[in-house]
Amino acid sequence: MSWDITGWGAVANVGADPEEIYTALCAARDVRAPLRAFDASKYRMRHAYEIDDRPEPGKDTVLRASSWLHTAVAQAVADAGLDDLGDVPVLVGTTLREQRSAELWWREGAEFDPVDLDFGRALRAEFGFSRTYTFANACAAALYALAMATDMIELGMADTVVVAGTDSITESAFGTLDRVQNETPDSLRPFDKSHAGMVMGEGAVAVVVRRAGADTARVRAKVRSVAVNCDGFHATAPDASAVTTVMRDAHRRAGVEPGDIDLVMLHGSGTPRNDETEAGVLAEVFADTGGGPLMTAVKSMTGHTLGGSGLLSLVVAALAMREGRVPPVLGLHDPIDEAAGLRLVRDTALDARVGTAQVDAFGFGGINAVAILEAAR
Amino acid sequence: MKTRTEVALTGTGLAVAGLTAADELLGARREGGFDPTKALVGRDLRHKDRATRLALRAVEPALRDADLLDQDDALTVSPDAIAVVVSSNLGNLDSVCRMADLIAEETVEALNPLVLPQTSSNVIAGAVAIRYGLRGPNLTLCNGETGGLDAVHWAHTLIAAGRAQVAVVVGVEPADGVVAKFVGAGVVDGAVALVLEDASAGRGARPRAVLKGYGYGVDRDAVIAKALDRAEPGLWLTNDDAPAAGLSDVDRFDLEARLGRCSGALGVLQCAAAAAHLDQDPARPALATITGADETAALLLAAPVR
Repeated sequence: MSWDITGWGAVANVGADPEEIYTALCAARDVRAPLRAFDASKYRMRHAYEIDDRPEPGKDTVLRASSWLHTAVAQAVADAGLDDLGDVPVLVGTTLREQRSAELWWREGAEFDPVDLDFGRALRAEFGFSRTYTFANACAAALYALAMATDMIELGMADTVVVAGTDSITESAFGTLDRVQNETPDSLRPFDKSHAGMVMGEGAVAVVVRRAGADTARVRAKVRSVAVNCDGFHATAPDASAVTTVMRDAHRRAGVEPGDIDLVMLHGSGTPRNDETEAGVLAEVFADTGGGPLMTAVKSMTGHTLGGSGLLSLVVAALAMREGRVPPVLGLHDPIDEAAGLRLVRDTALDARVGTAQVDAFGFGGINAVAILEAAR
Repeated sequence: MKTRTEVALTGTGLAVAGLTAADELLGARREGGFDPTKALVGRDLRHKDRATRLALRAVEPALRDADLLDQDDALTVSPDAIAVVVSSNLGNLDSVCRMADLIAEETVEALNPLVLPQTSSNVIAGAVAIRYGLRGPNLTLCNGETGGLDAVHWAHTLIAAGRAQVAVVVGVEPADGVVAKFVGAGVVDGAVALVLEDASAGRGARPRAVLKGYGYGVDRDAVIAKALDRAEPGLWLTNDDAPAAGLSDVDRFDLEARLGRCSGALGVLQCAAAAAHLDQDPARPALATITGADETAALLLAAPVR
């Protein structure tokens, strides 16, 4: 069983389309900057991986998450050569919806229609979609949406589905994150002993998923499975047993063994709890595979782009398959003990043949999603 | 997998002021009922936003109604097989705006660190899963006015795809100062929970209704026709008074006329009401429709074959 990805689009602070993003990641480019979104004097954290498209410094505007979403979706449907979208469902994964716009409405009286808290109306108006769904599934949202898309195709509810993710930084989320983290990170350093916590990023991503064989000329990669579950344990602390279960379920659904995986796109959010849990589970799941798969973490350069982050990892994995080159984990010098045996790509991009990749995404509420991706050959 | 899995509704729970059971949505009357001033307190609700509190108070009676909790409050179905699907549009809006106020008036140091999960729009679904240890798929729909019917549809899809045997579906919208300013006064300030499950699992819970057709799109007539699939309903739960082909003689019922604006909770409330109606009048199915900004969702429910 597999589903074809026939088009993609993305925008993040490191690049304005998937190729640009991938190139920047392979070049190990560090583009984080001092906090521009909000009044920095209110926060301990002074850095973020923002998209710098505000009209003037310190002056925020509504509907930025929606605008990147539209950019990513437009790229993806053009890349896939889709014309009539009236029959194509679009599933959007997000952590924060347009909550930043709601904040600006509440604090500054910005004009904002409550209908646009989710992305449906604007997508219908802009692209002519008629079936639109916004899933608020924290930082596993876009991979959850991908799971739902594969189910829709499998159950005969659609032949083609657009799956997307988007988020812009909100004051409430940036602020509470700042408040709860013991340290004040100036960069996101997944799996490194210097990791001091999560730093937020911004961006959107979209892919077109089609029934296998629908457009053989455009297959960018094949989705072999997406497994989803929930810890049912703690709102913000991960649970190793549920993460282990979802990884093994993804392998089972894809019909692959751990030894078949060439690359793992880590969730790698840079919080000590996530990194220790994810590394520990990976060490166990891949224990009998010799050296184990290569591993990398795009959040070391994009920041945590929240709802879309897992799908962005998936697009980068597909490009790594095509180009035979895996971007590094930026700033990884001294891996945490749990990751000592893992083959984390360091310093510079690594030439490698990648046939099968695993993509991890975990979120608040203890929700987990893992996808298995196969190269188009 | 392509054969359509029959999904039954086996439990309902309400946390709506003054109401106890779902038949009261359609006009049945009882003394007492849910009292938020008394019910929304307790250790298990500390540091939770109002929507989450309401949701948790609706979920418990739904689980009991469906015999998913035994006498020791242990789950009677494997927690890995139980999904949670929540629909809410306004749930965490108050938290988000109040946090922005605190930061602006003071600094981040003024924030309560225990409310971090409330910044994420999926806080309700996470809290329900954590309360009962539910480890199946966990989905939050923020899909506008139609979200409640859409949540029921996605719960059906999770079961049909084999990702869950049982799904707990929650619709909840709180009323507070931010919400009132945002969408106007008169929001329901309540929650409803349903238990849906694979009707073939033979667990023994009494089915109250089975899910039939679902439609969603911008062509209202086509959406309704798709959900009906030529069936002739005996009740039409709707949120507007526009006509629809073939439904001119069907009794209409607008829950929002009674409860106030229900937003993302409406569709879930409609399903609870439909199940109560079918209990009394099983002969013909019940249709639920919601029309939002330009989109419509429709869902048909029928009495189980007895």
